[in-house]
Amino acid sequence: MPGIEYLLEALTLTNIMLALGGVIAGTIIGSLPGLTATMAVAVLVPITFSMPPASALILMGAIYTGAIYGGAYAAILLNTPGTPSAIATTFDGFPMAKRGDGDLAVTLACLASVTGGLVGAAFLLGLAPPLAEVALAFGPVEYFWLAIFGLTLISALSEGNLLKGLIGACFGLLLSSIGVAEISADVRFTFGSQVLLGGIETVSALIGLYCIPVLIDLVATPDRHLKVTHQPKGFRLLESLRISWKYKFNLIRSSVIGTLVGILPGAGGSIAGLVAYSEARRASKRTEHFGTGEPEGVQATESANNATVGGGFIPTLVLGIPGTPPDAVILGALLIQGVRTGPNLFTQEGSIVYTFIYGLFLATVLMLPTGLVIGRYAYKTIVTVPKAMLVPTVAFMTIIGTYSIRNSISDVIIMITLGVIGWVLNRMGYSPSPIVLGLILGRIAEQGFVQAWTIGAATEELFSMFFGRPISLAIIAFIGLSLFYPLIRARWIGRRRKVSAD
Amino acid sequence: MKLMRLAALAAVLILSTSMVLAMGHGSYPDKPVNYIIPFGPGGESDITARHQQPFFKKMFNEDLVISYKPGGGGAVGWSQLNGMKGDGYTIMGINLPHIIVKPRQKDVGFATEDIAGVYMFHYTPDALVVTADSPFKTLQDVIDYAKENPGKLTLSGSGKGTANHLAQIRFDQMAGVKTTYVAFKGTGKAVTALLGSQVKAEWGYTSVGAKHEGKVRLLAVAMEKRHPKFPDVPTFKELGFDLVSGAYRGIAVPKSTPEPIRAKLSEQIAQINADPEFRRRMENDGMALLDVDYKDYKGFIDAQAKVYIEAATEAGVIR
Amino acid sequence: MQTDPKANVARRDVGGMVTAAVFILVAVIALWDTTRMVDSDSFVFPRTVAIAMIAFCVLLIAWNLIRPESGNGGVPAPGASTVRRVCLVAAMLVSTALMPWLGFIASGLMAFLSIMVIAMYDPWTRFRKLVYPLVCTAFVVGFYFLFAELLLVPLPVGSLFE
Repeated sequence: MPGIEYLLEALTLTNIMLALGGVIAGTIIGSLPGLTATMAVAVLVPITFSMPPASALILMGAIYTGAIYGGAYAAILLNTPGTPSAIATTFDGFPMAKRGDGDLAVTLACLASVTGGLVGAAFLLGLAPPLAEVALAFGPVEYFWLAIFGLTLISALSEGNLLKGLIGACFGLLLSSIGVAEISADVRFTFGSQVLLGGIETVSALIGLYCIPVLIDLVATPDRHLKVTHQPKGFRLLESLRISWKYKFNLIRSSVIGTLVGILPGAGGSIAGLVAYSEARRASKRTEHFGTGEPEGVQATESANNATVGGGFIPTLVLGIPGTPPDAVILGALLIQGVRTGPNLFTQEGSIVYTFIYGLFLATVLMLPTGLVIGRYAYKTIVTVPKAMLVPTVAFMTIIGTYSIRNSISDVIIMITLGVIGWVLNRMGYSPSPIVLGLILGRIAEQGFVQAWTIGAATEELFSMFFGRPISLAIIAFIGLSLFYPLIRARWIGRRRKVSAD
Repeated sequence: MKLMRLAALAAVLILSTSMVLAMGHGSYPDKPVNYIIPFGPGGESDITARHQQPFFKKMFNEDLVISYKPGGGGAVGWSQLNGMKGDGYTIMGINLPHIIVKPRQKDVGFATEDIAGVYMFHYTPDALVVTADSPFKTLQDVIDYAKENPGKLTLSGSGKGTANHLAQIRFDQMAGVKTTYVAFKGTGKAVTALLGSQVKAEWGYTSVGAKHEGKVRLLAVAMEKRHPKFPDVPTFKELGFDLVSGAYRGIAVPKSTPEPIRAKLSEQIAQINADPEFRRRMENDGMALLDVDYKDYKGFIDAQAKVYIEAATEAGVIR
Repeated sequence: MQTDPKANVARRDVGGMVTAAVFILVAVIALWDTTRMVDSDSFVFPRTVAIAMIAFCVLLIAWNLIRPESGNGGVPAPGASTVRRVCLVAAMLVSTALMPWLGFIASGLMAFLSIMVIAMYDPWTRFRKLVYPLVCTAFVVGFYFLFAELLLVPLPVGSLFE
């Protein structure tokens, strides 16, 4: 193992306390809808000025990884992704909670997050310099195809009505282009209103589209929020371990996907979760159960999004290119401390890098006990709190959470409005997930397309730009696979049945 | 009734004392100052503000609290600035050419003249950047290539209507070449595209050279004199192109802020700028320091506006 | 949300069709707005999406007219209270809109208390009358300090109190 001599350096009492405190604070912050990992890390920056660089990195890394895991609570228990990374956790996590398996889902998420975090950190430790090249190999056109790949999930998420899913996705794509365009700087679809100038903030849209409809239906009846089938006792840890062992390949595959997507500076945790979910669904024997509370779905997203932490640090530390938004903040803090990132960092300043990487392992391992305890507490609270307290608490948290993303009251109004629109659309059979997919992937798809087109047109090789690059072709193959796999499989199963019947 | 009168009296008392306290800006600042960055965390605007943060605390004994109000390429923050409390405890970062170009594109809720700037403290000079293994060794190589292959030279850069974009337009004009500008979201993404050879060169900043030392090469910098960190890189001026430009950063206050506080703030930022350690750190990151204080601010903006508006109109960014 | 397949048999998906029509309108407005954009970088993408959206909506409406039984519009849950729903949204919107004037604590309290009343299904015992508002105040104030002091979020103070 490289840099093993720094393991002891990472294990000082100060660093252990920093890692523990960071994970706990991160988990709590991440579980509040609206408080993202980026914000949690940004708040810490001034505190880290007075610390040695390695300790500062450990603290920020611990908060970051904790926040990504904490996002699972709100996703599972309230159908609200606490951070965008947890979007796909809602697909199966909330149905599980609804039917009374919320505690199981939370524990599964914890195990998956720890696995993902360890895999990501292992890649960071062992293969960072070569893997960093992946970040550079991805050009605009690859991001475009990756976004299209993400959009193919619509067919899985539109619950039997593909047309409605596609319409929803188009609506989301249009929503994503409101405001000042990120690259052309043109003002679009604001119709003279300054409220829309900043566009629709992704996290507030998530809160609106996923959480507000739940609240609206929650006040309408006296029924309990989540079904309680058993007395909440224990963590259901053994059961979770058994499930995790059963689906170990899913966990490993999703962790690797998460690490690789994390390396891509233009993608991030939300896409890692979506891609891992899509692949888990395709590879599973229980494809048709996905979306109705399938443990594999929760495992896939939660392991993938925590793997992005380690993955994202790869280009950050090797190339000085932040892999994810929180990495950008951490990189800034390092710059101010006078630490220069780059390939030399690993050879010349090994004490900082390796101490940090072992610290990240430490934080991830500490996430297991703390995550289980906090998760159980969160579940018990949500289940036992009377409705008259639960609804206002959640509503209040959506307001303050949305406000604090950009310190903007208009964002809160937009969030509530989107929530009402989402509720109405849901009533009409248009589910919110395709809209969210369009909203998140729209910006990536548009930028990738416009840039690839500009470059391709300038060099007069448009066709080979879009269809002539190896990575693009590989992604296109995956797009084809996930679009047509259900058909191929159905035919295959049908043929096999015929054979066995003969 | 009696209770109400008492309450009213108390309210008046509290109000008047707080007003007296607010008037006494002799000891400004006497509480933390809220420094709003109209962009997200981690960008260059954030990093320069973070550089100022510890020096402000050391010199004036109060915290400089940084918060973010991103959206609309800064427009969301700037359009709300004048609605904020003008007591000197709310200040906001401003950027050129943004505050000049944006309001002229469409109604973004503020005009350049509405922004009460007090100081422009640094700029990141534009630079033409190539990868370390690029066949382009000098600026002349780039010009020769562009002349032979009109339009085929692709250059990445951060956004449209930005310092990078306007520098590209002005340079093309001066050198009589045609190149293709590919806009990316932020300098980080533009550099990634360069390092990954998605484009042939980048219109970036001197800070790119500092951050990616050894992997990139600066061919020329848009400064009056050579940058202390890159003594071997010529300026555009030396090579015969009158190009001095970049992303300028400063600090503004809400319009209602009293004159004495503005002057004091301007003095304080100047004091931070004069600190040798601060200068060393900024220059090491590839930034260039600038001292445009409160009384020179208007003249500076007017002069810059002329140049930028011309280039942006040429680019079709402004109609 | 809950769709009961039996209740939908042979029922035309009127809601889905009306929504599709509204979406067509949205797409047309978007298309009209793109005509004012000069840079092709800005309009290529939204224009393509808007056209695709119109096509999908037309397909959906046509499909429904040809095969009416294919609809799957939602059915409202029995015994659900629309009044409470509307009140909840109104309470959230109104208190948020008042935040610049009332400040965060006052409008937060307003939202919290009113939503608590809206979501109350149990009888108001004396214990609840006493404890719930106290808990709610503690919650709002606690969150104020967490966000304003620890996380350094500049929460609105309220122009009425300045």
